[in-house]
Amino acid sequence: MNTIPQHNHDAGRRRALRLFGGAGVAAMIPLGLLPGTAAAASGLGMPKPDEKVEQTLERLFGKRPLQAAGDKMKVELPLIAENGAVVPVRIESNLPMQANSYVKNIYIITDKNRRPLNARMSLTPDAGKLSIATNIRMGGTSDVRVIAETSDGNLYQFKQEVKVTVGGCGG
Amino acid sequence: MSQVRIRVPEKAKAGDVITVRALVTHPMEVMQTRDGKPVEKNYNFIHKVEASYNGKPVLEAETTQAVSQNPFFSFTIKVNEPGKVRVIFHDTEGKTYTGEADIKF
Repeated sequence: MNTIPQHNHDAGRRRALRLFGGAGVAAMIPLGLLPGTAAAASGLGMPKPDEKVEQTLERLFGKRPLQAAGDKMKVELPLIAENGAVVPVRIESNLPMQANSYVKNIYIITDKNRRPLNARMSLTPDAGKLSIATNIRMGGTSDVRVIAETSDGNLYQFKQEVKVTVGGCGG
Repeated sequence: MSQVRIRVPEKAKAGDVITVRALVTHPMEVMQTRDGKPVEKNYNFIHKVEASYNGKPVLEAETTQAVSQNPFFSFTIKVNEPGKVRVIFHDTEGKTYTGEADIKF
């Protein structure tokens, strides 16, 4: 029964210390924050705000309609990815790659990632053929979209669900 | 520490479309969250990849943290003359990693 008052006393002292400590930190903030915010403004590595996939699509494409890729584009994605940290994607297409008509951009989007855009790749007609591959991270089971934007403004979308057994960290 | 490895076909003919595979050793640090809020830290990942052939750009990629560690890219180039493939990776700390490979005819 003796321990209880002692405990209270201790807690009180701790609270007092925290108060003082807190005041100290608060006093330091105006000085410490300025360089921090400047760095954040230019910092490419700073985390960007979370986004829903609809917002990402709107940001990238506005209200332009997405057409189903059908047989215009072939995407190799696993049905089940054991490790979300490394999910291979291979994109091949028979869309023309000529100087006047070519695939300008390829977007890889994972719907349920914190920040759905995985990567955007811009191509030039010098690529000769559309065939690209990379590895992406997935936070969990989700739809993956691959959207090809051609130079004349058409958008072709391929969509497939990938089941992820072990999430690949927030991404 | 970080290094770039590029694999190209040994020989090519004029007009061939060759496949280039490029890999860079990079941690691609991811964002950590604590209580649902991002932890203040500068994250170091590759945000830009540029590939060129004889100085002419072929591919430019904007990548995010949602690209795997040690990122790997494969792409194609239509070659008409012998030359040099150059792939440059830029990370968010301002470092660049460059890899080059010769295409012989």
